[in-house]
Amino acid sequence: MFPQFQSHSRIRLLALAIMAIMAVFVMRLFYLQVIQHGTYVALADTEQVKRLKIPAQRGEIYMMDDGQPVKVVLNNTVYTVFVDPQYVDNKAAVIRTIRQVAGGNTVDNFAKLLDKTDTRYQIVARNVSRKQAELIKKRDLKGIGFQAVSERVYPEKSLGGQILGFVNWEGKGQYGIEGKFNDELKGTEGMLQSVTDVGNVPLTIGSHNVDIPAKNGKNVVLTVDRNIQAYSEQALKNGLKKLGAPYGSVLVMDPESGKVLAMANYPNYNPGAYNKVADAKAFNNDIISDPYEPGSVVKTFTVATGINTGTITPQATFNNTDYIQVEDRTITNATKGQTGRVTFDHAYTWSLNTGMVTIAQRLGGGSINSKARGVMYDYFHDRFRMGELTGIELAGEAAGILDKPNIGNGDEVRYSNMSFGQGMAPTMLQVGAAFSSVVNGGTYYTPTIIEGTISDDGTFTEAEQKPTDENVVSKSTSKQVQDMAVRARKAFYAGNDKKGYTIGGKTGTSQAIVNGKYTFDETTGTYIGFGGDSAPKYVIMVRASGPNQAIGGQDVIPIFTDISNWMIDYLKLEPKG
Amino acid sequence: MVETIKRLGGTTSSAVRRHRPDYQIVLYMGLLMLLGLIVMYAIGPQRAHVLNTSYGTDFYTATYFFTKQAISLGLALAVFIFISRLPYEWLHKYAKHIFLAGIGASVLLALAGWANLGIAYCSLGACRWFDLGPLGSIQPAEFLKFGLLLFVASFLAIRAKIGLINDWYKTLIPAGVIMAIVAFLVVGIQKDMGTGIAMVSIVGSMLLIAGLNMRTGAILLLVGVLSAVALIAIAPHRLDRVATFLAGDNASDSAATYHIKHAKIAIGSGGLLGVGIGNSVQATGYLPEAINDSVFAIMGETFGFIGLLVVLLLFSALLMRLLFTSDRLTGTFERLVVAGVFGWLAAHVVLNIAAMTGVFPLTGITLPLLSFGGTSMVFIAGALGLAFQLSAYTSHSVEERGAYESSRRGRGVGRTRYASRRSYR
Repeated sequence: MFPQFQSHSRIRLLALAIMAIMAVFVMRLFYLQVIQHGTYVALADTEQVKRLKIPAQRGEIYMMDDGQPVKVVLNNTVYTVFVDPQYVDNKAAVIRTIRQVAGGNTVDNFAKLLDKTDTRYQIVARNVSRKQAELIKKRDLKGIGFQAVSERVYPEKSLGGQILGFVNWEGKGQYGIEGKFNDELKGTEGMLQSVTDVGNVPLTIGSHNVDIPAKNGKNVVLTVDRNIQAYSEQALKNGLKKLGAPYGSVLVMDPESGKVLAMANYPNYNPGAYNKVADAKAFNNDIISDPYEPGSVVKTFTVATGINTGTITPQATFNNTDYIQVEDRTITNATKGQTGRVTFDHAYTWSLNTGMVTIAQRLGGGSINSKARGVMYDYFHDRFRMGELTGIELAGEAAGILDKPNIGNGDEVRYSNMSFGQGMAPTMLQVGAAFSSVVNGGTYYTPTIIEGTISDDGTFTEAEQKPTDENVVSKSTSKQVQDMAVRARKAFYAGNDKKGYTIGGKTGTSQAIVNGKYTFDETTGTYIGFGGDSAPKYVIMVRASGPNQAIGGQDVIPIFTDISNWMIDYLKLEPKG
Repeated sequence: MVETIKRLGGTTSSAVRRHRPDYQIVLYMGLLMLLGLIVMYAIGPQRAHVLNTSYGTDFYTATYFFTKQAISLGLALAVFIFISRLPYEWLHKYAKHIFLAGIGASVLLALAGWANLGIAYCSLGACRWFDLGPLGSIQPAEFLKFGLLLFVASFLAIRAKIGLINDWYKTLIPAGVIMAIVAFLVVGIQKDMGTGIAMVSIVGSMLLIAGLNMRTGAILLLVGVLSAVALIAIAPHRLDRVATFLAGDNASDSAATYHIKHAKIAIGSGGLLGVGIGNSVQATGYLPEAINDSVFAIMGETFGFIGLLVVLLLFSALLMRLLFTSDRLTGTFERLVVAGVFGWLAAHVVLNIAAMTGVFPLTGITLPLLSFGGTSMVFIAGALGLAFQLSAYTSHSVEERGAYESSRRGRGVGRTRYASRRSYR
């Protein structure tokens, strides 16, 4: 072997050795690269190919502001700071740094968590801003890590809290818009499968790469006007304070479209601090989720039913004795003394229960028979849509109660009570939508709170028109009921209204049921009214109550008046000449 | 002794007239350097990204490693040319001085490291480099290696000439003392086992060529193995590497296991033809030392089995040329020096590739001419330059075995034209 070497056998020995080693290398390489190739490719893939979830951005929520959408719920990226106690080498520096930079965001006794060296993951601070996180990162300390978390931000604090709802710690929407539209808002997570470097940074190498982009959630624009909402909340708060009442709600709607302009509840809460709310009742939007007996405001519907069926006219009369017998029950008026022959207009103004029962009786030709009850049900339920879900785009809507005629509770007594607002339980939103249809010329607009959506590039798309129901009452009926409501308001409470506008309304005082009997010791005060120029431009419904408090419809009128007068200015309505 | 060397140098060089040197050495060296440069170009961006991320800077540009490697290669070529022109008699004459300077540099580094001076660059408890600020850093062990090559060659040449190569007292024990001092500095203080083994390989090759008898050789081998075991046993990281090797794929999850595992993944996933330039994934941070000690694995991933065959072929050809040159040199010193260069190159190539393919424990040694890194590149180029110079003094007169009349290869100009028409197979 190696004959080229002249003399030295030792040289041959070295040549032989090196050739033998090289031969071993070649065989080894052949084994690794050709025979075992598949195994090593698989090994390489397991560590190199990673699947990364691309989080979708949760849709943001807008309210209107004088016709323009403005953001009221935004996203913000914050960081959760964690430590790996096994990896921390300078404990004192870690504690000092976190205290210095993120002192307000630390979890309780975070310093002690660093001693848990049998664990590898301890959260020491939450909701740390990007700036703070970068400051901590700069210190170059071992064993500190960060996780980006998307957080909801509410620049308007508690404004419309019950409308918006909140996003819980799992990222799931709860209550309100967040709850109702959780799926639409959260979007769809994307997926990135890619060869990555050792730090999980995707590379453009290889054929395993899959890139499914995340679909961001829909941005929702509400019909709620930020200013009307803010003013309503303030007016409600002030009004309740004057009354000394703990609970109250205000609903403002556009009667000509069914759009909700404001939904204020008191007490309310800040969705950004939902975890600090002691009583979960505060999360509820009573306007849609708390059906109640609205009391005499329902007289508006009874009168409308009477007029529209041709059974009565406002100027038709009946004999008021302050008492009326229905089967074994005697129904009395709350306001007594308006006895004798009075018009139904008078009965509406003075809120006489006997007048309403009379209308109900006349619907049946003398008694609240099944025909009368059928007509009432047709109007109250089928036309005015009380006692069924409105389909409002908010979580937690209740259907309310409106008994069907002839079955169950739907007897004569029940329907006689319903004629003046007892024995039924619609929600405020149902009443507001029904009232709107009665005063707007007779068109029922399905109430809505969604104005539309805004795409990521800022394009606004209007929401689909919700179904409307024309001619639930005739234009003439509507006009007559409008006038009655204006007269009812003028008779007692119009003093503080802005002059030159059409403003009407109706009080309602509903007794609480204590020990199975209606009592006047605890009542809920309701007022519903409209305002506008030649036509109603807004409907406002106010409600206030408190345990053991007798709050009447007239008591909540100042809240209505306050908002109503402000609305005239805000909507820039022209006074009549 | 210097006098003796001078005399010997004088006589040996006159034995053969200078002729055309062996340009194959330049060819193989150049091709390997070029390959190394291509790899630097290919994985430079990944490497720069890894370093930038882990140090949080943007200091490393995509061409940083390519440029530095090109500069190193330029410097290495300059040294190659310089040494190939510098009369080797001069190196022969000052062999002892160069060796002592190498020892001095290593001692100085040890002292500087012990005194915590900034000039000594230490990492992981081992001070291996002098930090020269903007000029970069140099590793005195490489210089010492070069000094050792020259000094031991001249020492053994003298002993061989007077037939005392197997004499324990005159030759082997003094050589053993030299090795012990060097091993103390390089393996003991600088904790550089790889360089230590390379030095043993240099001296071993020379001893073998100088005519060490097999019995003595076997004893020396035993001593060497025992010292190696002792040196492994006292250093935990070496023990770990050996344990990893012995445990094979079942080894625990230590740094050495990780390194070898990923070297094998890189090589194995390369397959027959490799993933192609710029597509190395292991270079993006998985495989440690991707551009230095692990460059062979990265080349395996990038160029595949075929590419590595070319690399092995080039190294083999270069090594065979060195043996060929050593074989044809008439002067003992010259022959031993080239044999030492062979031992040097062979140790690096074999240890590095064996570690990367998982057939020998990890030693942390560079792959000559391919790995990123200045000092090792410059000194191996210097050693090859010396071999290249000496290849101009080969004799082809001894006997005629080949019959390739037309072959121009290996034709010397120092002897008769007839004698120069030799070739090798």
